[in-house]
Amino acid sequence: MSELVESETSPLGQPRSGGPVAMRLENVAVSFNGRTAVRDATFDVTKNRVTSLIGPSGSGKTTLLRALNRLHDLTPGAKVSGRILLEGTDIYRGNITVTELRSRVGMVFQRPNPFPTMTIYENAVSGLRFNGIKKKAILDEAAESSLRAAALWDSVSSRLKVTAGQLSGGEQQRLCIARALALDPEVLLMDEPTSALDPIATLHIENLMTTLKSRVTIIIVTHNMQQAARISDDCAFLLMGEDRAGELIEFDATEKIFNNPADSRTLDYTLGRFG
Amino acid sequence: MVLLPDLLPQPEEVAEFSSATSSRSWYHYLLIAVSLLFTLVSVGFVLSILLKSLPTWAHTGTLLTSRVWQPPNGPYGGLAMIVGTLETSIIALAIAGVVGLGTSIAIVFLIPRRLRNIVATFIELLAAVPSIVYGLWGFLVLAPFMLNTVDPWLNSWPFAKEVLGTSGQEFGSSLLLAAIVLSVMILPTFVAISREVIAAVPQDLIEASLSLGATRWQMIKDVVLPTARIGLFGATFLSLARATGETVAVALVAGGVANMQFHLLYPGTSIASWIALEFGEAQGNEISALMALGILLMAISFSLSLVSRWLVNRQRKLLAKV
Repeated sequence: MSELVESETSPLGQPRSGGPVAMRLENVAVSFNGRTAVRDATFDVTKNRVTSLIGPSGSGKTTLLRALNRLHDLTPGAKVSGRILLEGTDIYRGNITVTELRSRVGMVFQRPNPFPTMTIYENAVSGLRFNGIKKKAILDEAAESSLRAAALWDSVSSRLKVTAGQLSGGEQQRLCIARALALDPEVLLMDEPTSALDPIATLHIENLMTTLKSRVTIIIVTHNMQQAARISDDCAFLLMGEDRAGELIEFDATEKIFNNPADSRTLDYTLGRFG
Repeated sequence: MVLLPDLLPQPEEVAEFSSATSSRSWYHYLLIAVSLLFTLVSVGFVLSILLKSLPTWAHTGTLLTSRVWQPPNGPYGGLAMIVGTLETSIIALAIAGVVGLGTSIAIVFLIPRRLRNIVATFIELLAAVPSIVYGLWGFLVLAPFMLNTVDPWLNSWPFAKEVLGTSGQEFGSSLLLAAIVLSVMILPTFVAISREVIAAVPQDLIEASLSLGATRWQMIKDVVLPTARIGLFGATFLSLARATGETVAVALVAGGVANMQFHLLYPGTSIASWIALEFGEAQGNEISALMALGILLMAISFSLSLVSRWLVNRQRKLLAKV
């Protein structure tokens, strides 16, 4: 972990000097029926790095993550304020449709959730089909390359026509990653992607993330601090405030967050003193 | 009323009686006695109908082959009623299935949350309206409308007379009218179950599809409906069971004529309504033949209900796995 980050730490609200920015969050807050669930999230997600969101339950990590591909649109009474920029475009008010946004910002969920009635192949190409691509040659190629990228091709290439439910939990989650990768997204959101998996499968997914970051920028929510320390380059620490709304306490290089954080609460949390 | 199989998780099995109390008290024996009595009554019920219908199966044997029903000397053929039951039920199901599926999708995905429960409750209350009310409405309101407006319009299409028969039957009674009344009657049953099945599709599958750039319609068509399909078949079979057993309303609007009839604008009858219309004046062998029709109807209803329960259970297991 030692020499990963050379850029100097910048104060909250300022772009990090690290590299090109994939997503920029400016004062992002999410509320449900007027109740704030998370606020004051301001940080830059740097391209081709893994950014982790950590914090105790109720600190708004998942809520914040789901704002990044507009999944809160489904929830009546949900409101996202502030600005979230994808390559400079405001994803809520800018010139981008929600379906285009979601094909550029993919998501992997907590529970492996391949579509149970579809085959492995159909799952892998489902995103492309949703986006209107029908040519078999394109779909075949995307299926193979995304399954390869998710390190699943070798074990499933001979049984692409079986339903996804026949795979193990870890394989299902890798299929979900492949399904998201098939659209060649710029950013991949992962909401505690290993919390339902055994240690071996977890290790596979973690290795996969490290490989994948050359191809896609990853933002991961995790409860597991060791995981955040192992795999992420940058880290955002959130905490529930006095009014039970989560807020961003600190954002920095993961190494800094875990070894030399600016805020004493961050240190207390990473040392396991609470949460 | 049809029992609605629910998709919700079943409560834990009730703990065994004897494990709680070692000495068995009087109500333990009372409960056993009551349940034995119930079993005896059910067995006796089926046996007595079987016995009464025996002459038909043993002697005349024309129930499943003849289309003529001719008291007092026979033959007693059930083909007209069987065919009429199938025609009216299947057409009713086709109408209720299309309308009901759209309604269920709208309730779950399109209607604002606040209105959702009101609409759903209202539709399910329709299932509690007594059949005779639907029958009256069919006879007094829908039949004249069919007679004066719909039937002539249908007949204005090319080949319609050859396929549907000619319009203008007495009172407007016809198999088509019976099918339409039936479709209104089974719609609440279909909606009640299909809505539950659709709402039980896990939220994270819905979110997964939207996260892949699916539109709302693609999400419904490619993910929700395929995932719910087994349960939807269950809803279909249960509605069909209700339609085949429906008596009073069909007796009022189908015309009550024992003609095996493929022209839907002509009057006909169904098994259940034929029993209701005939039993008052039946004697001797006709009673036995009606009983045999009753057994046939029971067998159809039982098997449809069993299939639907099996399907809804399979759906529950499928959802437990994903």
